Amino acid sequence: MNVVEWIQFLAGCAFLFLGLFLFLVEMIGVFRFHYVLNRMHAAAIGDTLGIGSCFLGLIILSGFNFTSLKLALVIAFLWIASPTSSHLIARLEVTTKEDDAEEFEDLTLSKEGESENDHI
Amino acid sequence: MSRKVPEEDYKKTLSYRFSRWLSGEKDPYLGEVEMKKLLPFSEPRELTLSHSKQQQEVREQVYDIKENKEVKGFSIAYRIVSVLVLLFLLAMLLYSVSYLPPYGEAANPVNNEVSERYIEKGLQETGAVNIVTGMILDYRAFDTLGESHVLFIATCTVLILLRREKRRDHEEELSDRTHEPKNDVILQTAARVLVPLIMIFGIYIILFGHLGPGGGFSGGAVIGAGLILYLNAFGFEKTEKFFHAKTYKWMSFGALACYSAAKSYSFYTGANHIESVIPLGTPGAILSSGLILLLNICVGVVVSGTMYAFYCMFRKGDF
Repeated sequence: MNVVEWIQFLAGCAFLFLGLFLFLVEMIGVFRFHYVLNRMHAAAIGDTLGIGSCFLGLIILSGFNFTSLKLALVIAFLWIASPTSSHLIARLEVTTKEDDAEEFEDLTLSKEGESENDHI
Repeated sequence: MSRKVPEEDYKKTLSYRFSRWLSGEKDPYLGEVEMKKLLPFSEPRELTLSHSKQQQEVREQVYDIKENKEVKGFSIAYRIVSVLVLLFLLAMLLYSVSYLPPYGEAANPVNNEVSERYIEKGLQETGAVNIVTGMILDYRAFDTLGESHVLFIATCTVLILLRREKRRDHEEELSDRTHEPKNDVILQTAARVLVPLIMIFGIYIILFGHLGPGGGFSGGAVIGAGLILYLNAFGFEKTEKFFHAKTYKWMSFGALACYSAAKSYSFYTGANHIESVIPLGTPGAILSSGLILLLNICVGVVVSGTMYAFYCMFRKGDF
């Protein structure tokens, strides 16, 4: 076991544990927050950075071969898919929230002046 | 030695704040983040009372408990009998559990000649490198045929339950579909990248079912998910060009008939001790292991169509 292998092992483990820590943060956030957009924010941490560093650790551990290429593809897939689904959830929340629309004054999709009329 | 701390001092400590944070009494981000906490659902007490009163009235009118002695007797007998049946079932199951052999012992009836034969002669007899696929699509193909039919029958049932007549425009405005994101640019861009990849991955899973982990059910589910993503991004106008009820009908019919014909052939030759003309091929090649590849494709077609049809039925009541 030479120095390069040791460095590879330690770096892989470090990234893996960083990813696990981020997943822990995500879990706490998802269960502790009460509002859907806050929860979405917490869940996005694990979906992007957490899974990215976990798989990066696994890629470093396995070396450069076909398995690591597959893992990199999984990361790319998740980084496209997860923000898209978060965007859809956020958009649905903004469109369907009726009772306090004034919170989303800057975010409402309707034209100016229209939201005030809707409110009455 | 413990010492007593006054309550005000205790409230300032880190452990008190941590325990409050942990038990959820206080949201530490409430008031500091720009978004408000979602209030729990509540309705005034009079409304609740009137609702329950209405329900009671409806129930009395439907069952007519005061007048109809039979219904009253039946409802009492139903409760008693259901409890008795459940107790009997519980006792029976507990009794039979006590006779189960200990887990993981070599002499258990699970480790009999059947599993031994699967492991030792599976590759030789079915030609599939993946023993699981060899089992479900060769030794136990009859069971898998039944599962495919179950999926098809489930779709038929959903069709009966959820099918709607020609909807009116007014009705559509009232439904939840108005709130769904339409023509979302971000979703469309992501779908343009992802849908071809998902389709190719699903086809890969189906075609490599006899060589590695995968097979018709999982690959079909992946392709169905890709179709649903495409539908969500581009709407029904685009998908109806290539997939509607008639396509689904003929697709399922063709796949199930193909499966049945292929398996009937192998059952016929097997039962009559006739040599099957289908070569097993070299294990590891794509075109190997006899009929398994064909059966995997059939199962994949049925599963993907069923997934998509379920989604369409629940969303629109038609497709």
